[in-house]
Amino acid sequence: MISIKNLVKHYNNHIALDHINLNVGKGVILGLLGPNGAGKTTLVSILNGLIDFQEGEIEIFGLPLSQELKAIRQRSSFTPQSLALYDNLTVLENLRFFAGIQKIRGKALRHNVDYAVSAGRLHPLLDHKTGILSGGQKRRLNIAIGLLNNPELLYFDEPTAGIDPESRTSILETIRSFKNDGKTVIYTSHYMPEIEKICDQVAILDRGRIIRHGLLDAMLHEEKADSVVIELRHSHEAQLQALTRKHAMVKVIDAATMTIDGPDATQLGAILAALEAEQINIKQIRYGTTNLEALFIRLTSQGNCDV
Amino acid sequence: MFKAMLLKEFILLLRDKYALAALFIMPSIFILIMSIALKDTFSSDRALLSYTIIDLDNTAESAKLRTFLLSNGRLKEHKVLITNAAQQQEALNGKLHFIISIPKGFAQNLVTEQSASLLQLDVASDVKQEMLTLLQGELVMDIIRLRMEKLQKELAPFLPDVAQKLEAMKSNRDNLIQVRFNAMGKNKKPTSTQQSVPSWIVFGMFFVIIPMSTVFISERKQNTLMRMSAMNISVPVLFAGKLAPYIIINQIQVWLMIGVGIFLVPLFGGDALTLGNSISGLFMVSLGLSLAAIGTSILIAVTADTVEQATTIGGIINILMGAIGGVMVPKFYMSQSMQQLTNISPMSWGLEGFLDIFLRGQGAGAVITESLTLAGFGAGLLLAAGMILNAKMKRGI
Repeated sequence: MISIKNLVKHYNNHIALDHINLNVGKGVILGLLGPNGAGKTTLVSILNGLIDFQEGEIEIFGLPLSQELKAIRQRSSFTPQSLALYDNLTVLENLRFFAGIQKIRGKALRHNVDYAVSAGRLHPLLDHKTGILSGGQKRRLNIAIGLLNNPELLYFDEPTAGIDPESRTSILETIRSFKNDGKTVIYTSHYMPEIEKICDQVAILDRGRIIRHGLLDAMLHEEKADSVVIELRHSHEAQLQALTRKHAMVKVIDAATMTIDGPDATQLGAILAALEAEQINIKQIRYGTTNLEALFIRLTSQGNCDV
Repeated sequence: MFKAMLLKEFILLLRDKYALAALFIMPSIFILIMSIALKDTFSSDRALLSYTIIDLDNTAESAKLRTFLLSNGRLKEHKVLITNAAQQQEALNGKLHFIISIPKGFAQNLVTEQSASLLQLDVASDVKQEMLTLLQGELVMDIIRLRMEKLQKELAPFLPDVAQKLEAMKSNRDNLIQVRFNAMGKNKKPTSTQQSVPSWIVFGMFFVIIPMSTVFISERKQNTLMRMSAMNISVPVLFAGKLAPYIIINQIQVWLMIGVGIFLVPLFGGDALTLGNSISGLFMVSLGLSLAAIGTSILIAVTADTVEQATTIGGIINILMGAIGGVMVPKFYMSQSMQQLTNISPMSWGLEGFLDIFLRGQGAGAVITESLTLAGFGAGLLLAAGMILNAKMKRGI
């Protein structure tokens, strides 16, 4: 479906993508992860023909991107992170406009709009002005627009940014359902639990390079051998940061979660004692397992990436 | 594809009441106000100059001079008591343009060979040179009349024929010169409506800068343009999708404003607009103006970073082009050097084209140059905007 060979992109002297090689098969949901500035958006923009690249070869649907961009775009769609909608048009007018500029007419127009409305659960909102919709409803419309050309390949750039959990769940279910239709999805997000929930494969980018690519389950399985995840009852960010200074193997995932890489019994005992001394209540300890956030933090060179 | 773009632009515009006001209501009100405010400009009965007379001579001749001045429709006398310098200054700072002082000995000196001044003229500091020249001309003519009358009286006993001729010549003063306005019928005058409507049509058409750049920048900022680009919409197609609806909007503006000139202005006491002889010429100029206005709008929208920047820059450019282009101050009021400068403003090209049609009675052939220059200007700006937008999009801005 997607084949990228030795892709290089640089802006003046700054290398944004450094000899990227990546293959994505049909029907795969690939999570594209990376800290800010890793090159995720650049890669997705290149794949959509929005920006040029200097070296390398890209084939999508077996077609060379540089020569067959128009044909490739007709079979794919891109949903940007920002809400690329018209606030002064109704939901239906937005859908009809974006279908119209893609020359979708007649029966196909009705069919594709119905499909997008159904996938985005937009039925009750069709006559509402987009400007008055909630953040979650706008996100659903943003995604629905990307379905109007019935694409085989869909790119989503942070499609759930800034919305409530209910809308997020609904959007994730929708995207997951594309797999049943045989569609391929490239999904970039900072929310690791989302990636874990819907993606089959993960590619982690750091400083313009793909540092890990593979099946999500296999990657988590490889990591699980000697790590411990501790979840706390309440947020204790300051104390956890202090703990990382004392124990190098401790990594803070968020204010209530930490991981410990390969501790022996003495080290683990010392860390648990330190938590007890700080009167921090432990909710759960998981041995021999990890999650994507822990893996991501361990792999990427920046500890302060946006997660 | 174009249908979808056209529909979208129209819906967005129709739902933006501020844009509608800027595009249609404001220029129409401008036309109404300016046509009515200036409706007496071409009336010979309209008083332009106000004055008072201090008559220290108190003779039949000084009284006659006063009568002559009173009979002139361009002048209006105000009775003001002036006995000292302070009162004089106050009067000239207020409603008076001139104080005409007739000194003692005026009648006596009227036909002497002395070169001393016959009258004293005090002038308000805000009086324009052409107003002073007008009054001086009137006064010189009235003094010559008084001299002729005096000479006629003195000659009558000796040369009755000459005196009779002089008497006859006095009566046809108003018919001495026949005025004929270029490309207008006999006894027809240009009207303020005919002169001001073209100016405000041109000005109003450039108001598309504000709604157009607002929509375009929102599309850029919200990545709608990027999304359209990913849907195979190229920059030329994108621009064409903007051109078509806004050309139609501009044409609606033009005919709305012409309609205001024809039907609405007369209801408020102004002169009705007449269309001229060439509808095709009118279309040519307005199409050229559309391209120039849309090119300007898109270039501003592409270069500005925010809607606030675009509306501020757009407003300033609009006013500057209007001021330089003779929309706000008619070209003939300007100095020679300023008149040269008007040639750099596309509004001036459009205005000249419209004046050719509305005022000078010309046909389509006369406005080809203006129309093509405007279209070329618009195309050049669109080309520049396209290059800038392409470069920005490639850089992901």
